[in-house]
Amino acid sequence: MSVRLLVLIPAAAAISLALSAAVDAVALPLFLDTTGTVLATALAGPGAGIATGVLTSAVNTLRNPTFWPFVVVQVIVALYAWLAARGGLFRSLKTAVPAGLGLGVLAAATSTPISYVVFGCTTTGGIALTTALGRALGLPPLGACFFGSFVADFGDKAVTFALVTSVLHALPRRTAARFPWALRAVGAA
Amino acid sequence: MTGGRLHPFTLLAIAGTLPALAWILPAPAGGAVTTAVALVLTLTPGASPGLAGTGSSPGWRPGLVVLRTAVLTAAPFWLFLLLLHDVPSTIAIGLRLTTMIASVVWVGALLPPGRLVEAMVAAGWGVTAAYLFAAALSAVPLLKARAQRIVDAQRCRGLSPRGGLGRRLRALRALALPLVLSVLHEVDERALALETRGFVPGARRTPLAPPRDATAERVGRWLLLVGCAAALAWRLAWRG
Repeated sequence: MSVRLLVLIPAAAAISLALSAAVDAVALPLFLDTTGTVLATALAGPGAGIATGVLTSAVNTLRNPTFWPFVVVQVIVALYAWLAARGGLFRSLKTAVPAGLGLGVLAAATSTPISYVVFGCTTTGGIALTTALGRALGLPPLGACFFGSFVADFGDKAVTFALVTSVLHALPRRTAARFPWALRAVGAA
Repeated sequence: MTGGRLHPFTLLAIAGTLPALAWILPAPAGGAVTTAVALVLTLTPGASPGLAGTGSSPGWRPGLVVLRTAVLTAAPFWLFLLLLHDVPSTIAIGLRLTTMIASVVWVGALLPPGRLVEAMVAAGWGVTAAYLFAAALSAVPLLKARAQRIVDAQRCRGLSPRGGLGRRLRALRALALPLVLSVLHEVDERALALETRGFVPGARRTPLAPPRDATAERVGRWLLLVGCAAALAWRLAWRG
C-alpha cells in the first residue's frame, strides 16, 4: 500500500466522525458515520475502505463503547461501496441515491441481529423509539428491531452515497487521478 | 499498583474480559458482579477525566468524573430497555451494557493513545498500524474544530440550516463538502511529509518510551483469557 493511501485511511475515518458537527448544525436525524468508509472505498478500493471502517469503529468506541459490535456493518458497507464503485454508480445522484437506499436495507439487515442480541434494540434513542413504534404496530420483537434500524439506516445511507458522489465530482480531475478507483467510480475511466 | 501504571495491553485485557464475562455468566448475578467491578475500576487512582472526553468538572475528583461519565452514558440504555422489555430482561441486558460502557470509559480515561501506540510498537507491530491509530485519533478533534469553523463561516455568508428537508440537505452539502475536500487535498501534503521523513509502510520503529511489561502482567493477561474460556465452557456444560 502506498503512503498516500495509508494517509487516506485515518483521514477518511476522521471525516466520518467530524461530520457530526455538520449534521448537528442542520438538525437532521442522520449519522453519516460510514461516509469515510464509502469515500475511501470509492477512491482506493475495498482494502482501504475496510481498514477505514474498522478504524472508524475503533476510534468511535473510545468515545462511545456501543459502536464496536457494529464494526461488521462497516465492513459490509465497504464491500457494497466497492461493488457500487465498480459499477460506476457514483457517476450521478440518479444512480447513487438508489444505490444508497439499497445499502440502507442491507445495513439494517446486518445491524438488526447485533442490535437485538447485544443491546436489546436500544442502540440510540431514535432507534429505541422507532422500535417501540414497531412493537405498537404489532410487529414481533425482531421485526420491530429491524423496523427501527431500517428507519435509521435507509435515509442515512442514501445521503451518504449522495454526499460521496458530490465529493467525487467536485474533486479536481488531477487530484482524483491520484487515487486508483476515483475515476472509475464516477464513470470517467 | 494503580490502574494508570498497568501496561496498556493489561488494561485492554481487563476491559475486554469484564464485558465478556458479563455476557457469559448467568444473568443477573453475573452481570451484577461484573458491573460492580467495572464501576469500582472507574474510581481507580490515576484515571484522568480529560482523556475520557468528559471535559473539566471543577470540584469533582477525577475518579468520580469517570464514574459519572460511565453512569450517564449507561443511563439512557436503561430507560430505552424499560421502554422495550420487561423488568428481568431490562436488568439482565442493562447490567451487561453497563459493564461494557464502564469498562471502556475506564480504559479510555486511564490509557493515553500515545502510550498504547508505544506499547504496540514495542510489541513488534509495524509502523503502519501505529500510524493509522495515532493519526485518526489526532485528526478527529482537528477536523471537528474545522467543521465548526466551516459552519460558522457559511452562516456568516447567509446559509440557513433551517426550513424543509430539501433546504436542510442542501445546507448539509454546503457544510460537508468543503470539509471533505479540504481533507482530501491535504492527503498529498501529508504523504509527502511522511515520505521525506523516511516513513515506509510495514517498517518497524524503535519506541521512544516503551511501557514496562512485567512478567506478572503477561501471566495475568493469559489468566484472564483462560478464565473467560473456562467460564464459557462451564456455562455451556451447565446449560447442557
